[in-house]
Amino acid sequence: MKEEYELESKNEPNLPLTLKVDRFFSKPIYRKALDTITILFFVLVIIGPIINIFSTIFLNIPSIYHDVFNDELIGNLKWLNIINSLGISFSIAAIAVGIDILIAFPMAIILTRYNFRGKKFLDALVDLPMAVPTSALGFSVLLFWNLFGINPGMELIILGHIVFTFPYIVRNLKIVLEKADVLYEDAARTLGASGITVFRTITLPLMKEGLIAGSILAFTRSLGETGATLILSGLVETAPILIVGFRRQLQLPSASLLAGILISISLCLLFSIKFLSRRGSFSISKIYPKFERLLSRKTLRHIRDLLIIIVLLFIILIPSFYIITQIARGNLISELFLAKDYKWVYLYTSFMSSIQIGSLAVLINLVFGIPFAFIITKRKWGKFITFLDTILDIPIAIPSAALGFAIFLFWGPAGIGLFQPGFFMILFVHITFTFPYMVRPIIGVLESSDKGVEEAARTLGASNLTVFRKITFPSIKQGIIAGGIMVFTRSLGETGATIVVMGNIRTIPVLIVDWVEANYLASAIFASTIIIIFSAALIFALRTVSKRRV
Amino acid sequence: MPNIELRNVTKTFDEGKVLAVDDISLQISDGDYVFLLGPSGCGKTTTLRIIAGLEEPTKGEVLIDGKNVKGIPPEDRDMGFIFQNFEIFQNMTVWENVTFGLEMRGFEESYIIKKAEEALSIVDLLKYSEEFPSIFGNPGLQKLGIARAIATGAKILIMDEPLGSLDPKVSKVFRHELRNLIKDLGLTAIHVTHNQEEALAIADKIIVMRAGKILQMGSPYNLYEKPESIFTANFLGETNFLQGFILKLLEDNKMVVWIRLGGPKITCGNNDGFNLDDNVIIAFRYEDVYLFPRNYPFEKSQYDWKDMEFFEAKLESSRFIGATKRFYLKLDSGDSFVSIKPGYYEENYSVGEYLKIAIHRKDIHIFNAPDDLEKELSLM
Repeated sequence: MKEEYELESKNEPNLPLTLKVDRFFSKPIYRKALDTITILFFVLVIIGPIINIFSTIFLNIPSIYHDVFNDELIGNLKWLNIINSLGISFSIAAIAVGIDILIAFPMAIILTRYNFRGKKFLDALVDLPMAVPTSALGFSVLLFWNLFGINPGMELIILGHIVFTFPYIVRNLKIVLEKADVLYEDAARTLGASGITVFRTITLPLMKEGLIAGSILAFTRSLGETGATLILSGLVETAPILIVGFRRQLQLPSASLLAGILISISLCLLFSIKFLSRRGSFSISKIYPKFERLLSRKTLRHIRDLLIIIVLLFIILIPSFYIITQIARGNLISELFLAKDYKWVYLYTSFMSSIQIGSLAVLINLVFGIPFAFIITKRKWGKFITFLDTILDIPIAIPSAALGFAIFLFWGPAGIGLFQPGFFMILFVHITFTFPYMVRPIIGVLESSDKGVEEAARTLGASNLTVFRKITFPSIKQGIIAGGIMVFTRSLGETGATIVVMGNIRTIPVLIVDWVEANYLASAIFASTIIIIFSAALIFALRTVSKRRV
Repeated sequence: MPNIELRNVTKTFDEGKVLAVDDISLQISDGDYVFLLGPSGCGKTTTLRIIAGLEEPTKGEVLIDGKNVKGIPPEDRDMGFIFQNFEIFQNMTVWENVTFGLEMRGFEESYIIKKAEEALSIVDLLKYSEEFPSIFGNPGLQKLGIARAIATGAKILIMDEPLGSLDPKVSKVFRHELRNLIKDLGLTAIHVTHNQEEALAIADKIIVMRAGKILQMGSPYNLYEKPESIFTANFLGETNFLQGFILKLLEDNKMVVWIRLGGPKITCGNNDGFNLDDNVIIAFRYEDVYLFPRNYPFEKSQYDWKDMEFFEAKLESSRFIGATKRFYLKLDSGDSFVSIKPGYYEENYSVGEYLKIAIHRKDIHIFNAPDDLEKELSLM
């Protein structure tokens, strides 16, 4: 008996137009079409360039071998350069993350377990360096430490990297600490454990996941950073800077090899986050009650808190914003506004390019990000979803200069040939590396949003699209706005990938690098200050919109 | 008018790894108030969601008014659904919540207003129309949930633990209002619960489920008086279980069961399908156990003692629980059982005293002994 079940009470012809349209497009076929387009977008934009770079390397083994390992004039000097730069990048990342962890632990505890006035403000300050373009930040760090006679080089790169990677670790630690129930700690204390013992045996194991995720994120950030490093490096060449150098000199085989190596390393790191954060645990069995009780004393705790605030001020906050105090350098007017090369016009157009690229990236990622987040949270495709969910983070994990180069190879003249370096290619790159920043917060709110309410709406006769418009969308709006602001600030601050694909167009961070390199310091300070204030405003907007700090 | 039929419906999750509903068939006729009753994880909610179209069955078919509804999405099934957690739209006012379903059906403005006002006055919320649902506690939210579900005029009402989030006292009053409302509107209703008392109190028909299968269906009276399985006997009401074996099959279709380890010999039941020496379980309700002093002269009393079984047991303890009194008793063989009496029951037996126990033969149920009684009695 396969008759169609007909509706008696539903009076379709009388439905308002919007509901009719909703019903029409709620048919499974349209959903499938949208799913297909979204997956296609994801594959082309995110996965395509990365697969392409490996196939390019594979297909060009002879020329890479010739260029990198066996040049007539310089032999394998480039290979030595590559190895050397990777070594430098890794040491910088390792040292920066090590120092980060030392500062981040007490900081995260202060921000989650203490209550004091101005806590929210401190919290925002700690997050701030994450939102500010790294080239502006790097420049500020350079100016600050110059006061103490520290010149560009390894030390300064490390100091710079600590500034912008530190928030990632604090934030990840904070997330797990907020989730971890204080009652466990209370229980341990009632059983007679002193503060430090509780931290070591109860809190620390709970923080494991956040520590691993945060450290690897900070590590990949440091590994891939270009903007600040260009300003702080002097003669030191990190891997991303070497890519930028190769690209500038049009040594494509060397650049692809290095980009391929960096991408592979980052992918390994990414997959190890996904596995490590699920497995393994610290086993802490030894307890030193007397010693730890001594360490837990109030005075020692106050000293520790004071120390951490001082470190935060002098290593992170003051270097980050020192630049603002320098805005009134004497020759600003003559250099920026009166000089014959019309730097202010340049500044204006770069600023507009930055804003246009950022807004378009937000818009396009919104269009594809919402359906993608729906696919990840709602479709029951089993392992394929787990796979999509893992590779979604690839653009965050790989150094943007390498990603930029991969996209240049894929879409540029050497590959599909759709774009020349310039505005649209920058836009494309920015869409790619900001995509996860848009999708993650939406996935977050979708997962926590109430599925039951959507079902209630459906049993009341609302079609899928009506449910989305009237029920789901209002509840995930915050996540969408948070994602949008995140994408915008990321796009605004990006340097490495932009340099690789920019052609004649400049964005603000690149302009700052250019001006610092050309020694137009007053103008660079002015541009940096503008962008720092602008990003700070955005990040405060983000925090007022989303209390969960996506 | 609506009637619902399930034919051999099976539902698996996680690519067949989890079997939620296992080949069940059932029929619900027009105007019936039917309960799906069972412990959590028995598949009752999944069955309900399949009927509502929120899940597609893996196998089998669902027929509504004799028509297969395969592939018809929930929004086109025209059923009212009431949720345990209310699922009220928090971003809409009370009025917008109630009119939502009506708007979705494209009714005229005047009809929408009329229907919404009706529904809201039935649950007594009309005066809160302009408020947001956040002003309500759980009972208010569920009233709104009910108004929202019935406003559309759907003739089938589906309820997933509708009283589960209310506190016990409120829910006891609420359930009778719910039944009256359903009967007044002439709805066909399906109600999922794990609360046997709730089901016994207001159902027309109860379907007992366990581990994805239907164990028994029938009226509350039938299920209570004639449980067909140890599980049903245990799940509905409060029941004593004693283990024994068949000592003798008698000619008048009765048999003698010897409670294990030297307990009493009890003559009872209908011996169809039982054989000599079979291990069996004897079940009798707490309230069916009568207590008398050890030397009570039955022969001279007005009791109809010829249809009763007598044996002796020692009183271990007794508790007064408001409306009832409970007596905890122990056989010499070591088995314990319980008798329940009204709170005003006045005999003052002392602890340690031997009492005469009497049970009507019709109240004694015999089941084949399962391999694992504990498992059979567990509510999973």
